[in-house]
Amino acid sequence: MDLIRDLEALADGARQAIASAADDRALEDLRVRYLGKKGEISAVLRGMGQLPAEDRPRVGEVANRVRDEVEGLLASARRRLDDERLERELQGSRIDVTLPGRRLLPRGNRHPVTRATEEITGIFARLGYEVASGPEIELDWYNFEALNIPADHPARDMQDTFYVDESVLGRPAGQGAVLLRTHTSPIQIRAMRRAGKPPVRVVAPGRVYRSDYDQTHSPMFHQVEGICVGPGITFADLKGTLGAFARAYFGAGTRTRVRPSYFPFVEPGAEVDVSCSLCGGKGERGGGRCGTCKGTGWLEVLGSGMVHPKVLENVGFDPAQVTGFAFGMGVERMAMLKYGIGDLRLFYENDLRFLGQF
Amino acid sequence: MRISLSWLSAYVPVPPPEEVARRLTAVGLEVEAVERIGGALDGVVAARILSAERHPNADKLSVCQVDAGQGAVQVVCGATNWQVGDVVPLATPGTRMPAGHAIGAAKLRGVDSHGMLCSAKELALSEDGSGLLVLPGDAVPGTPVARVLGIEDVVLEVNVTPNRADALSHLGVAREVAAATGASVTCPEPRLAQQSPPASQAVKVTIEAPDRCRRYAARVIEGVRIGPSPAWLRVRLEACGVRSISNVVDATNFVLLERGQPLHAFDLDKVAGGEIVVRMGRPGERMTTLDGVERTLSPDDLVIADRDRASALAGVMGGGDSEISAGTTRVLLESAWFEPTGVRRTARRHGLHTEASHRFERGVDPEGVVAALDRCAAMIAELSGGVVRKGAVDAYPTRRKPVDVVLRWARPAEILGMPVSRREAREVLASLGFELRRTGPRQATFRVPSWRLDVTREEDLVEEIVRLRGYDAIPETLPPVVSDTPAPPRAAVVAERTRQALEAAGFSEAVNFSFVAPADLAPLAPGDGRPGIPLRNPISADLAVMRSSLVPSLLKGLAYNRRQRVEDVRLYEIAATYALPRPGATDDAPAREEQRVAGIAAGRRHPVGWSTAGDPLDFHDLKGALEALLETLGVSGVAFVAGGPPWLHPRSAATLEAGLPGGGRVVLGHAGEVHPRVAGAFELPRGVFAFDLSFEALVEAARLVRGHADVARFPAVLRDLAVVVANEVESRAVLDRVRQEGLVEEVTLFDVYRGAPIPEGKKNLAMAIQYRASDRTLTDAEADLAHGRIVERLRSEVGAELRG
Repeated sequence: MDLIRDLEALADGARQAIASAADDRALEDLRVRYLGKKGEISAVLRGMGQLPAEDRPRVGEVANRVRDEVEGLLASARRRLDDERLERELQGSRIDVTLPGRRLLPRGNRHPVTRATEEITGIFARLGYEVASGPEIELDWYNFEALNIPADHPARDMQDTFYVDESVLGRPAGQGAVLLRTHTSPIQIRAMRRAGKPPVRVVAPGRVYRSDYDQTHSPMFHQVEGICVGPGITFADLKGTLGAFARAYFGAGTRTRVRPSYFPFVEPGAEVDVSCSLCGGKGERGGGRCGTCKGTGWLEVLGSGMVHPKVLENVGFDPAQVTGFAFGMGVERMAMLKYGIGDLRLFYENDLRFLGQF
Repeated sequence: MRISLSWLSAYVPVPPPEEVARRLTAVGLEVEAVERIGGALDGVVAARILSAERHPNADKLSVCQVDAGQGAVQVVCGATNWQVGDVVPLATPGTRMPAGHAIGAAKLRGVDSHGMLCSAKELALSEDGSGLLVLPGDAVPGTPVARVLGIEDVVLEVNVTPNRADALSHLGVAREVAAATGASVTCPEPRLAQQSPPASQAVKVTIEAPDRCRRYAARVIEGVRIGPSPAWLRVRLEACGVRSISNVVDATNFVLLERGQPLHAFDLDKVAGGEIVVRMGRPGERMTTLDGVERTLSPDDLVIADRDRASALAGVMGGGDSEISAGTTRVLLESAWFEPTGVRRTARRHGLHTEASHRFERGVDPEGVVAALDRCAAMIAELSGGVVRKGAVDAYPTRRKPVDVVLRWARPAEILGMPVSRREAREVLASLGFELRRTGPRQATFRVPSWRLDVTREEDLVEEIVRLRGYDAIPETLPPVVSDTPAPPRAAVVAERTRQALEAAGFSEAVNFSFVAPADLAPLAPGDGRPGIPLRNPISADLAVMRSSLVPSLLKGLAYNRRQRVEDVRLYEIAATYALPRPGATDDAPAREEQRVAGIAAGRRHPVGWSTAGDPLDFHDLKGALEALLETLGVSGVAFVAGGPPWLHPRSAATLEAGLPGGGRVVLGHAGEVHPRVAGAFELPRGVFAFDLSFEALVEAARLVRGHADVARFPAVLRDLAVVVANEVESRAVLDRVRQEGLVEEVTLFDVYRGAPIPEGKKNLAMAIQYRASDRTLTDAEADLAHGRIVERLRSEVGAELRG
């Protein structure tokens, strides 16, 4: 049984060779040498034809066993080499995790005025307010008259107004002056007229214009106006709504203070102050007077009041049947308080070094 | 309005400054500042001169021992107008004088002097430097001089809203303090000594425009000597920011600040004919006002005229001709009620805003006219040694009817959301001077005090009640829940998605003024008739026209950033542009406002980094951003058609056209390289890219809810295709023809190549085509047939050669 002896010798040689193989290439060579079509096992098997028939099964059995063993040895040797390679990699030098991440295109940023507007209108949307808009080049009637600010009324001094000549617009004279809206309040008139009947619950953001330009005034700025009109709406609802808004915008601990003020289109009128978001209402910060609230602990942020009966009459609502409240706020101021922006001019310079921070 | 607390305390008990400020703010008179005045005299105290002797080394100096509250102190003094026992101001060592220098302990000609005795001039109290300021003899030594003189004071800066004309005076504020604190007001009654003959013999008043002047009252004071006012009066006026002029003029200003009633003093000898005619200005009539300006009057200007000519703009400013002067001896004193809107028109027409017009515009108390006149006449007589003629001339053609307002007891609760008891309502209103006329189980009638012209209806009474009761008492509730939650409007959703897409493409949002300089729009629209809408009263030439395009502002934003050395700039803006209204527009907006979205991009495609090169961006970077935007909005089938408006580079511009759901096409806007000349006009280099789209068209074209197709279940067959076409053939012409083949699921253009071995004037387009059938496994043979049809179509229709 020379063949069996040959096979056992072959197996011995394969065991040693595979155990000492150093890389994939050597293993592949060994696979070809032992298992290939022209390999050593095949050569042994080819010699089987000369064996007596009764010996063939035994030799065949041994040959199969040797082949299986060599295959198994080759497979485990490959795993061993893989493991060694992986181990070497795992022990190898680290990548530079401090290199900047690869960003082909950094995101652009949203303007802080838009951010604040979205946040404000979003809060009121959750309270069931619809978002409305209106023209910026507006008729005197919507901007003033309908809001109980007649011509030659001193309240017009509160808002220095830009005008557009009617003739420029091809309008006949005497149909009322055309102006840039001085506040978003004309949108409440338009919204109530559009609705036709109460209830109306609307919030209206937009650009407004006043002829005033210095460190703390811009000839264009942004407001958000809101109105809630229906049967049985009270001043208590105004306080509740604006209190809820202030907590949502400035944070849960925010307190509100409501005090009398005057806007011609509301009565009673109210100024709503919120506890200073920077000093927490203490009036001092960092051992000194809080510059944001000037040491008072309060910030004036909202004008508001119960919709004046004349305004309701002007849009065809019956003040005996419905009441409502209205409020308005300056978006730049809200953004300045939220983001700690100190200089109004930054909003309109569009300096990417500023915009990039939002 | 500046309110002096020491003055205020003459009429009502005044709580400490911070307390009164808090109370006033709580009732609606917002105190914006609390200012302490008199501090400039810190260190100057009252000192009694105990003894004096001649200076040993100087004839004109005295050496005084004075008591400044802490025993005898030695001071050298040069003045001679005093006697031993007088109390005078001593500037103690360390005092900084109003002129700026500090007082120290010094030797004067060899004698120690511990401070300086002062004249009124040295203390900046008056021009009198002739000798020491002798203080009242009962002043306690050591007391600060500011307190002795009554100029130590606290002034409140009160923001009086336009509806509260009644609070534009110390008495008015005193009424509010009284109502807020439960105290009562003491109103000074004039002690008027009158002498015959009656005033009516010296002056005649005619009101020719009774709708503009409801009441005109006058008194005559004779034997007046014009001179400076006493210190107490000057101090009062100056605390309120009013300059002292003369005893007579100061008296009118004092009463104005006391009662809110503007008064005017005429030199009666300069009133022609002793006649006062209240009439409208005459066409072409001229007069010179007190400020020295000659003015042409309008027929809408109410004037106070004498027999011959206009001598005052009624309620606004007096005239130079009848002005009180040093030689005036007879004074005609006016106290009147002018109609508010007329005064306002005249003041604005002449560009004037005075203490008088401010109050008349807001409405003074028609029943306080004569009381103020009497008070002022008495003061003038007392200050100037004059004599008041008997009686006032009081032209009051139509007496004002008192205003009664009904309050339904239930109404306050309906408006406020908290109960208000009847007693409470009555008490609050009574404290404010409202008189209860009638009362019943359901309602009561109140008579409004004559000074409260702003109260005319029930809601006004409710406001009075709540502002005194305090807004703090009102609970916080929420309105009933709405049954219908409104969906966000389509435009808001499109705006949000537009912002997201553009920001993801690296664009930051800009906010620009809506008004620009006309010159900013000119380079964009040479003669295209969209010049924007000019303002009548722009704040400056740079902000004079409502813009017809967002692009110029963005180009300026780019230039601004480049000046700050920021060169990779992508900015966008969503805002209105303004144009003339469409003829026959049905809405009642006076102009046409179209929301647009525009952007600019310049600089590098990617920021330079360790793994990216800094190639400059180009048209296709911009196009990629816009494609991403359109995809985000679900706008499909948008064609970029070569060519654009004149402000874009003619060879590098596209017009975006979209198909409408109902058929037809709509132009969404334009994109491309900014025309080099336009860029130059904004001081920008080449390589600036911009887009300008109609936001409204995007809203219309957007498909916010996506449909979907089933996922393919059968395998695809992939084939590459390379064709050579002439350079002028647009890639779209090739790709569209590939897509015409029904089995083509997707085609990707993966290479565009010019150069050897491709012939001059031609380019090679290499594509990967994916064929798929939705209902079966596609065979290679079917795919080959389709591929062959494509090759043939490209060959015959666009002259493409297959590249082997």
